[in-house]
Amino acid sequence: MAETESEGATDSELTMSRAMVDAIATELRENDDVFVMGEDVADYGGIFDSTEGLLEEFGREKIMDVPISETGFIGAAVGAAQAGMRPIAELMFADFFGVGMDQIYNQMAKNTYMSGAAVNVPMVLMTAVGGTYNDAAQHSQTLYGTFAHLPGMKVVVPSTAADAKGLMHTAIRDDDPVVYMFHKRLMGIGWMPAPEGPKTPVPEDDYTIEFGEADRKREGEDVTVVTLGLHVHRALEAADELAGESDLEVIDLRTLVPLDTEAVLESVRKTGRLVVVDEDYHSFGVSGEIVARATEGALDDLSAVRRVTMPDAPIPYARPLEQEVNPGTEDIVKAVRDIHD
Amino acid sequence: MGDDTVAVETEEVWPDDSEDIEEAIVANWFVREGSVVTAGDPIAEIQIEKVSIDVPAPVGGEIVAVLVEEQDEFRRGDVLARISPS
Repeated sequence: MAETESEGATDSELTMSRAMVDAIATELRENDDVFVMGEDVADYGGIFDSTEGLLEEFGREKIMDVPISETGFIGAAVGAAQAGMRPIAELMFADFFGVGMDQIYNQMAKNTYMSGAAVNVPMVLMTAVGGTYNDAAQHSQTLYGTFAHLPGMKVVVPSTAADAKGLMHTAIRDDDPVVYMFHKRLMGIGWMPAPEGPKTPVPEDDYTIEFGEADRKREGEDVTVVTLGLHVHRALEAADELAGESDLEVIDLRTLVPLDTEAVLESVRKTGRLVVVDEDYHSFGVSGEIVARATEGALDDLSAVRRVTMPDAPIPYARPLEQEVNPGTEDIVKAVRDIHD
Repeated sequence: MGDDTVAVETEEVWPDDSEDIEEAIVANWFVREGSVVTAGDPIAEIQIEKVSIDVPAPVGGEIVAVLVEEQDEFRRGDVLARISPS
């Protein structure tokens, strides 16, 4: 792929997938312990282009296709990490986590703790999340809350190419297991056009973005919108639509574990109003967590809170039904108007 | 723009095994008008059925015109952009 050649480019913009691959390729070149394994990561380049072109440069010793065997290959990655390597394992859809969940939450997440730090597990579990393209109930979930709820793993959710690259460098270099959850709709692949926003100028050299630092994607005075992934861009669209009526501050969490509680509190202390937008299910998830932390830390400053989330139901296949349940720009606008009146 | 620009011809990036396909879409531009590129840099990605193909800059220089918008279709042989060589 283009990454090698593109390094000489000036002023070019990258899609989120290319930014991720750029970071992975750099780490592969610089550290012989890094390798990639997963279903369709080699010849196919990742079904959402997350490993596009890596096979050509690094070969099958480093970029490994595996059978459909999440328990097997995620377990192998855990073992390799404990033995001193730095694997990147791709779980094709986050929805498939159930197949290999023992390896994810009992082994990958806990082995450092349970061994009294005799071993650590410096691996990245990379996985595609989210809907909006009619792939039905088993291929459309975000499940952010599920992964963030289980202790022992850092959880990363980028929303732009520049963030995706920096967060990937940090993830690969981290000595703990990191779950890197990328939204398919943001990748910039030809058959699934991304919204305006995720394709950004990306610095040519490598750089890291510290985990636990939310990014204020828009500064505003009236209402704080806390969100992540695809819905950062929908929140920014809502902010444009509400211009002159309500001045939105948009906080992109970027990582769920660790979570930048202070950024949320600082913003709601200023605005007094909080809308949390999350493509995960309504109950027991990120939206509830953010509201809980805001009320614990800034109750006196809060006058109103709303959540814009997926209903607690399987995600429909039919396009109009999926669009109905997935939080749209209009839903965010409505929630903001609701609490700003 | 005139004779001093270099056309980015799609004919040169069309895959050999797609002789019966005449149309594609521009999936992504990686440059804008005014961007400066070096020869070989990928400047765009085009999509032909389920295959994505990079379009490299034939020469280094400034992108002076982008002629097909993202998600728009174009036909084999169309010019995608013009570069003013530096």
